[in-house]
Amino acid sequence: MRRRIEMGFRLDLLVFTLAVLTAPALSDLIISKVDRRIDLTSQIVRITSTLKVENAGSEVVSEVLLAFPEVQAKNLAHLVATTSDGKGKVKSSAVSLPIKVVNPKGMPAALIFYAVSLPKGLGKGDSFTFDVFAVFTHALRPFPEKITQADIQLVVFQDSAHYLTPYIVKVQSLSVKLPEARIESYTKIENTKIHGSEIKYGPYENLPSFSYSPIVAHFESNQPFAVAEELVREIEISHWGNVQITEHYKLVHGGAQSKGEFSRLDFQARPSIRGASAFRNLLARLPPRAHSVYYRDEIGNISTSNLRSDSKKTELLIEPRYPMFGGWKTAFTIGYGLPLNDFLFASEGKRFLNITFGSPMNELIIDILIVKVVLPEGSTDISVSAPFPIEQSQETKVSHLDIAGRPVAVLQKTNVVPELNQYFQVHYKFNSLSMLREPLMLIVGFFCLFVAGIVCMHVDMSISKSSPSYLARLQWEEVLATIQQVQNIVNRCLTTHDKLEASLRDLSRTGDVQACKATRKSADALLKEVSKELKPLLAFLQSSSTAAQILPKVEELVTKEKELQEKVMAKHSTVVDCYEKKTGVRDIESRIALQQLKITALRQEVDNLLDIIDEI
Amino acid sequence: MAPKPIASPVPDALYPTLSLVMLAIGLVVTASFFIYEATSTRQNRCLAKELITGAVASVFLGFGSLFLLLASGVYV
Repeated sequence: MRRRIEMGFRLDLLVFTLAVLTAPALSDLIISKVDRRIDLTSQIVRITSTLKVENAGSEVVSEVLLAFPEVQAKNLAHLVATTSDGKGKVKSSAVSLPIKVVNPKGMPAALIFYAVSLPKGLGKGDSFTFDVFAVFTHALRPFPEKITQADIQLVVFQDSAHYLTPYIVKVQSLSVKLPEARIESYTKIENTKIHGSEIKYGPYENLPSFSYSPIVAHFESNQPFAVAEELVREIEISHWGNVQITEHYKLVHGGAQSKGEFSRLDFQARPSIRGASAFRNLLARLPPRAHSVYYRDEIGNISTSNLRSDSKKTELLIEPRYPMFGGWKTAFTIGYGLPLNDFLFASEGKRFLNITFGSPMNELIIDILIVKVVLPEGSTDISVSAPFPIEQSQETKVSHLDIAGRPVAVLQKTNVVPELNQYFQVHYKFNSLSMLREPLMLIVGFFCLFVAGIVCMHVDMSISKSSPSYLARLQWEEVLATIQQVQNIVNRCLTTHDKLEASLRDLSRTGDVQACKATRKSADALLKEVSKELKPLLAFLQSSSTAAQILPKVEELVTKEKELQEKVMAKHSTVVDCYEKKTGVRDIESRIALQQLKITALRQEVDNLLDIIDEI
Repeated sequence: MAPKPIASPVPDALYPTLSLVMLAIGLVVTASFFIYEATSTRQNRCLAKELITGAVASVFLGFGSLFLLLASGVYV
């Protein structure tokens, strides 16, 4: 480790000499004031610089260069330049300025340059103030590199006390904010002050371009050094009302490596002393209305989690299976469902998903973040718009009830910090009718079952088509079918009788003889037809030897039914006659009383016979 | 045109009820289908009736099982 630091110093020296040797041949910009604030309170290093630039030359300048040493630039995760419109103290909405990587000629090779485009060119004597916010990952190096369970974790941070820039700087100052803990050492140069946990350098005045004065801070930091080596976020949209998010974490403690043995007893008894460098839990801030939250790994559910939710947020506090010491790894999955109408919108004939990019975890560095947006089957014209550059590709995923698979937009980004947790959009076209694919598939599946059943019942599976038992069965089936037909006919007759009875009741109520006669006529026609149908069936039963057993019953049924039919007809004629002759109601009743008795008895018999035949 | 949020065509809260009702109807129709298959003889069986009963039963079972999946959290 010490060697690495020394190497860093040597590199810095090299930069410094290079800077002195190469004369600045740049535009005549002067930085009249720089205030830098470095926040080292967490594992993520955040540097905010407020720059005031002034044009001392005569040419109009529209770009300002920012320089970062290569060592730093490779850890740069996020860089924005903003300017506040409002003059004076009131800071109104910040406008971000476009930044791009440039490679100006005649500059030291060990520096990476970014150009900030100013909203309008600076004329002679004009000045402009803007903020630069840079976020670095892995910029704090643990020193010593290996500690035991009982040790505290010390880290080293190095930068320059002077603002590294290709311009001349008139006034500058730097403040370094450290966590509220022990400070092992820090570089003291002129104008260095310490105030609690804040180290102040400067102000320094009138420094030439590329001036560099290395400083090192060595301090205790027991903040969680949670680093996700790889995070795969899968966002699956279902138009049936859900956005399912599944996050697969491969987490590592990125701080000083743990050495020696680990005592659970010591850790449990005095966690603040015996395990200060470890972190026990992680906090994920999920969107409001998140539901069906789970937290598991390869061997199943992890029960050590806590979920709190209110109308504005859902907080999930998860505890890995073991406390995380330096270098220890863990892999787990969290998943949750979100209501569709919070994230999916329609505009101009297209649909788009509007959701945050990064992980919901607090202060987590992600080395490789892969976001997979799984769109419903049948989506077309997929396009992604994000506020920062990302690698894009496409694949398909086969999931529940899919035929061709669902289109997936895969987004990849390295070195992701919470600041990149911004909204991005995935636009696509989708026809609402495609939603019916899944139910149609289920319906077709069930229908196939039914068709299989039908086929089974219709196909003759017997092997020997000439065996006596087979033939007997065929005959028996035929007989059964005929008997069923006979039954149907008898039942039809019975319903006709009921109709006639009903017409009689109508007659007694309304006295409409004509309607009653019409009913009688139609009933007559029907019964005649039925008796015609009945003849061949009975003939078949008589000829069949298999039906010999059951034939008497069937014949009895038919005769009884005929009898019943006659009685009903007779009764009907009597009543109608009486009405035509205008006989009194009581008289009619006395006349048909006997007939009615017989009808009831016969009906009972017919019903009994039907039941008996039914049972066969 | 301002973006308009998209929601499910059927409110989420109705999924359990819908699945219960549709599965019940579907199973009743299925039962009637099989009763018909078992009681009718080869001669007087009507293919159209079988197919229609099967189709109605599968529509109800299909939607019923879809809503059952949705209600149990498997968003297809």
